[in-house]
Amino acid sequence: MRRLIATFIKEFKILIVDKTGITILFVMPVMLVFIMTLIQFEAYKSLTQSGIPVLLVNNDNGSLGLSLEKGFKKFSICKLTVDHGEKYKNSEDIKKRIVDGEFIVALVIPKGATNVLRDNVGEMTNSFFDKEKTTKQIATQVKIEVIVDPTASKSFVMAISSGLKEFIASVKTKVLFQIMGEKIAQLLDSDTKAVLPEQDFFVYDESYAVRNSGKTYEPNAVQHNIPAWAIFSIFFIVLPLAGSIINERSEGLFIRMRTFPGNYLSILSGKLFVYFFVAIIQFVMIMLLGKFVMPMLGLPVLDIGTHWFALTTLTIMLSLAAVSYGLLIGTLFSTPQQSAVFGGISILILSALGGIWVPVNLMPPIMQTISSVSPLNWALVGYYELFIKGGDWQAIQFQVLKLALFFIFSITVSYQLYKSKLRKY
Amino acid sequence: MKENSCIRVSNLSKKYSGSDSFALKDVTLEIFNGEIFGLLGPNGAGKTTFFSIVCGLLNATSGNAQIAGYSTDKDIESIKKIIGVVPQDIALYPTLSGRDNLMFIGRMYGLKGKVLKERVQECLSKFGFDKNSNEQVKKYSGGMKRRINLIGGILHEPEILLLDEPTVGMDVQTRTSMMEHLKELNKEKKMTILYTSHYLEQAELFCDRVAIMDQGQILCLGSPVDLIKKENGKDLEDVFLKFTGRKIRD
Repeated sequence: MRRLIATFIKEFKILIVDKTGITILFVMPVMLVFIMTLIQFEAYKSLTQSGIPVLLVNNDNGSLGLSLEKGFKKFSICKLTVDHGEKYKNSEDIKKRIVDGEFIVALVIPKGATNVLRDNVGEMTNSFFDKEKTTKQIATQVKIEVIVDPTASKSFVMAISSGLKEFIASVKTKVLFQIMGEKIAQLLDSDTKAVLPEQDFFVYDESYAVRNSGKTYEPNAVQHNIPAWAIFSIFFIVLPLAGSIINERSEGLFIRMRTFPGNYLSILSGKLFVYFFVAIIQFVMIMLLGKFVMPMLGLPVLDIGTHWFALTTLTIMLSLAAVSYGLLIGTLFSTPQQSAVFGGISILILSALGGIWVPVNLMPPIMQTISSVSPLNWALVGYYELFIKGGDWQAIQFQVLKLALFFIFSITVSYQLYKSKLRKY
Repeated sequence: MKENSCIRVSNLSKKYSGSDSFALKDVTLEIFNGEIFGLLGPNGAGKTTFFSIVCGLLNATSGNAQIAGYSTDKDIESIKKIIGVVPQDIALYPTLSGRDNLMFIGRMYGLKGKVLKERVQECLSKFGFDKNSNEQVKKYSGGMKRRINLIGGILHEPEILLLDEPTVGMDVQTRTSMMEHLKELNKEKKMTILYTSHYLEQAELFCDRVAIMDQGQILCLGSPVDLIKKENGKDLEDVFLKFTGRKIRD
C-alpha cells in the first residue's frame, strides 16, 4: 500500500507538470465531445430550421400537380421551389442545379399526369360495370422523377425521398377517389358530387420503445453523441499510458524499480491507478459539459438517468478496460512510437467497429457481428441503455461483465508478456 | 564463507539466450564487509552482467551468488532491502525535481514523514544541491544528474552499495568529490561498496581491492598496490593493459 501511494504521488506530480499531457488528457476530450455533438446537432437543426431545399417541377396543370404543390407548401421541413416547366425544361437542367448544391431533392411531375390518372381510373371504373371487360393492366403509368444529391448522406436522402413518396401516394389516393367519384356519378347520370374528408383515415402515434415507461426519453444529438465520444476519448488514455510505461522500461529507471524492495507490479499498479482516476475525471467532465455547458448554447440537456449504481459501475469498468488496454500496448511494444501508432489506429478501428462513428444497426450484417468484439461497443450499448432506453443495472450487467473480462484478459496477457520479456535476459 | 565476507559468488556463469559465448564464465569472488571493491574491465568484459546478477536483475545460468548470506536465487527480497543500486543510466524522472525524485525513491525504501524529508535534505546539502533541488531534473547538467542518481542509491543508507559506472561523463572535480563522499560513507557507515568502472586512476586511489576481468573471467585480483608491484607495472592502467591487451573492443 505504501509503495502504491508513493507511486501514485509520483505519477500525479509527473502528470501535473506536463502541460501537453494535461491538454491531451483533459482539454482535447472535452473539445472533441463538444465539437462532435455541436456539429451533429447543428447539422440537423440547420436543415430542419432553414428547410431542406426541394425543387418541385410541376409540368402537370391538373388536380394531381396542384394537390402536390399545395401539400408540399405545408411541409415546414422543406424549403420548396416550384417551377411549372418554365425554368427547368429537362432533367439535365435539374441535375446541374443539384450538382451545384442548390437542391438536395427534385421531383418532376410529368405533363398530363392528371389526365393519365383520370384515364386509368375511368377505365377501372368502367370495368366495374362492364361484365365483359376485364382490366388487367393500366394503359399508361405516370412516371414521377425523383432526383437526389449524391453527396448527401444516403440515410438522410432515403428518409427524405421515402417521406416524399409516402406523401405523393396519399395525394394520389385522394385524387384517385375524387376522379373515381366523378366517374361513378357520370355513369349513374347523377349530379351528386363526391365530398372527400380533409383528414387522413389513419393517424400515427409515434413513441420510443423504452424500458421504463414512466419516463419520457428523448433521443437527440446530445444523448447519442456524448456517451459515444466520451468512450472514444477515455480509450485514448492508452497513448500516454503506454508511452509512460515504455519510457520507464527503456531507461535506467526500470533497473532502479526492479531493485526496490517488493514487486515491480505493485509500482505499475500505482501508475495504473493514476490513469484510472484520470479516466474517471474525463468522464465526469464530459457529463458536466453535457449537463450544464451545452444547454447554454441551445443544445438539449444531457439526461444521465437515475440509475447511479449502474452508471458508476459501467464507468469504472470502462476506465479499467481502457487502462488495461494501455498496459497491454505498453508491455507489447518496445518504443513509444510503435505504441502510439498501433494504439491510435487500433482505437480508431475499435471505435468504428463499436458504433461510435456509425450506428451498428446501419452496418452490414458481417460488420454487426464483428462489432460485438469491440469493448467500445460494450460500453456504448451500456450507456445507451442508461441514457436513452431507460434501462437499469439489469439491462447493462452483461456489458459490464464483458468489460470486466476484457480487463482481466489484458492484465493477464500483459503479465505473461512481462514475464516472458524478463526471461529473455 | 568467511565470517566477514559480504558478497560471495561461486562458479558463476551466464550465457544469454541466443548467444554462443558466455558473458560470465565460472567466476568465483569474495568481497568483504566494509571494503571498497572495484570491478574493472574493458567493454564487454562482463562487469554489468556480474552487477546485474548480484542485484537480482538477472538469473545466473549456473553457480551461485550470496549477498550478506542471502542467495540471489531464493532470498532476493531480503537482498533488496539491504542493498542500494546506482545504475549506469540516469534512473530519474526528468520532469520531476531532484527533490521529488529522491522523495519517491525514499518512500519506495520505506522512509516516510519527517525522517524522509530530513534525510533527503541532508543528502542534497552534502552533494551541493542547496539552490536547485526543486528544479526539474531535465534542466540539470550531466554531473548534477549523476549526483542525484547516486543519492538515489544511498538515501536509505544501505549495507551494500552497488554502483555501475557511476562517474561516467563527470568532470574531474565532480568525480573526485563524489568518490570522496563514497569514501566517507564507507568509513562512517561501514558501507560495503562494489563498483564497476573504466577509470583506473580513480580505482587505484579509492579501492581497497580491485578485480580485472575480461571475456567473462576474472584475470587478477588484489589491492591496487599489490597488483602493480606483482606485475611490475607503472600504475594500475599498465597492469590493466597487460592483462586485457591493446585490442580495441566493440
